[in-house]
Amino acid sequence: MKMRRPVLILLLFLLFILEGTILPWLIPDVWEMRMIPNLVFIVILFVTVYHHRHTALIMGLCFGMLHDVVFYGRILGAHSFAMGLSAYLIGLIFQIPRAPLPLMMTVVLLGSLLEDSMLFGIFKVFNLSQEPYNWALLHHMLPTMLFHFAAGLLLYIPLRRQLELLGKETRDEEAA
Amino acid sequence: MFKLFNNKRLFILLITLVAFIVLMGFSLGQRKTLSWPENFVRDTTGFVQKLFYKPAGYIAGLFEDIGNLHDLAEENKRLKILAAQYARDAAQLNFIKAENEGYKKDLKFTKAQANLYNYEYHIANVVSVTTEPSNNTLVIDLGAKDGIRLNMSVTSIDGLVGVISNVSNFTSTVKLMTMLDIYDPNSQPPIAGTVFNKEDKTFGMIERYDQQTGRLIMNKIPVGDPIAKDDIIISKGTGGVYPRGMTIGTVEEVKKGEYGLTSTAIIKPAAGFQDWKELFVVFTEERVE
Repeated sequence: MKMRRPVLILLLFLLFILEGTILPWLIPDVWEMRMIPNLVFIVILFVTVYHHRHTALIMGLCFGMLHDVVFYGRILGAHSFAMGLSAYLIGLIFQIPRAPLPLMMTVVLLGSLLEDSMLFGIFKVFNLSQEPYNWALLHHMLPTMLFHFAAGLLLYIPLRRQLELLGKETRDEEAA
Repeated sequence: MFKLFNNKRLFILLITLVAFIVLMGFSLGQRKTLSWPENFVRDTTGFVQKLFYKPAGYIAGLFEDIGNLHDLAEENKRLKILAAQYARDAAQLNFIKAENEGYKKDLKFTKAQANLYNYEYHIANVVSVTTEPSNNTLVIDLGAKDGIRLNMSVTSIDGLVGVISNVSNFTSTVKLMTMLDIYDPNSQPPIAGTVFNKEDKTFGMIERYDQQTGRLIMNKIPVGDPIAKDDIIISKGTGGVYPRGMTIGTVEEVKKGEYGLTSTAIIKPAAGFQDWKELFVVFTEERVE
């Protein structure tokens, strides 16, 4: 009786499509280069806090790779690595199934900062970006964090409900 | 006791790390074709994205059109003047073209030489965009099946947008000009540029895009070059990758270069790098290399 997991994966895929197609039209032109929506990663953060960090790790790796392959400009694997690892690390610290809203929002902020910094680091290591970190921080990481914060607030209730059902299902399976 | 990493986990972590570094290093080089899983993933997501992007664009465009309504009369007047001028220029152009063709025949040009500047523009629909500064790309709905090859130039109505960085069967990825970078070993090559209306007098290499200011930097402009502020920069077409005559941007400032021997021009890109609908891929004559 596995019903919730495919729903979650479909939701992630849908969000991935939305962030590449609809969101560029919704974000004002001035902010378009500065807010880099990563809705998939927000959901993965929810999974890592409310469900399990291993699920989040796998999801981060898979959907990061999807992003890398579809928007293959320079290198493969950067997003996969950053999303997977940062989701896992966040899960290692914050995996609290009863986490209240303020804590979850802190996690969203921290997680998106961690992921963006990791991406920045990867591109820096391969000498693909010349900009200093503090510029990148002000230019796109902070606006992105705020955007993710707002998106996290919107997604909080439906996602938590889904994840609770998913948790219940896994427990039932283990009991049976 | 809480232990951060036990042996097994540490082992897995290290293996993954190494695997990722290998993958990144491997994908960093220029790749001629993609493997079948990549093709499959790109084409299927491309198909789904196509269903979303275009309707969203139309709805967004509708609101924008309502906003622009009052500018229409003014724009119409300007366009009429332009159209009249265009008709005169076209007549002139036809004479010169015919003459030129005659000369080419007289001088016994080979077929490849004669077709060098014969470009075809194919319209492509954008299916999705990512605006990340270090990987600013977009996906279009033409692929290898439509004859797209690596490094073809992509332009919008305003000007040069980028080059094709990867091709799968039905979609391809466009690397935007914002990723032009002289320090990156496989960035798109620098563009040989010149000034519109001073084509034989000016020359410079557009080498990188400055993320912080959002401007293109044109270096290696020789001393005594008549380049000035507000000149329109177009591509020169030497070097092979970029076709001739693509609009790139307008000069904002000309200053002394890094070593004092040449000048550097700061160029404001003509293309806006946001909200795309249709783009044009420039098909050039395939060259034997």
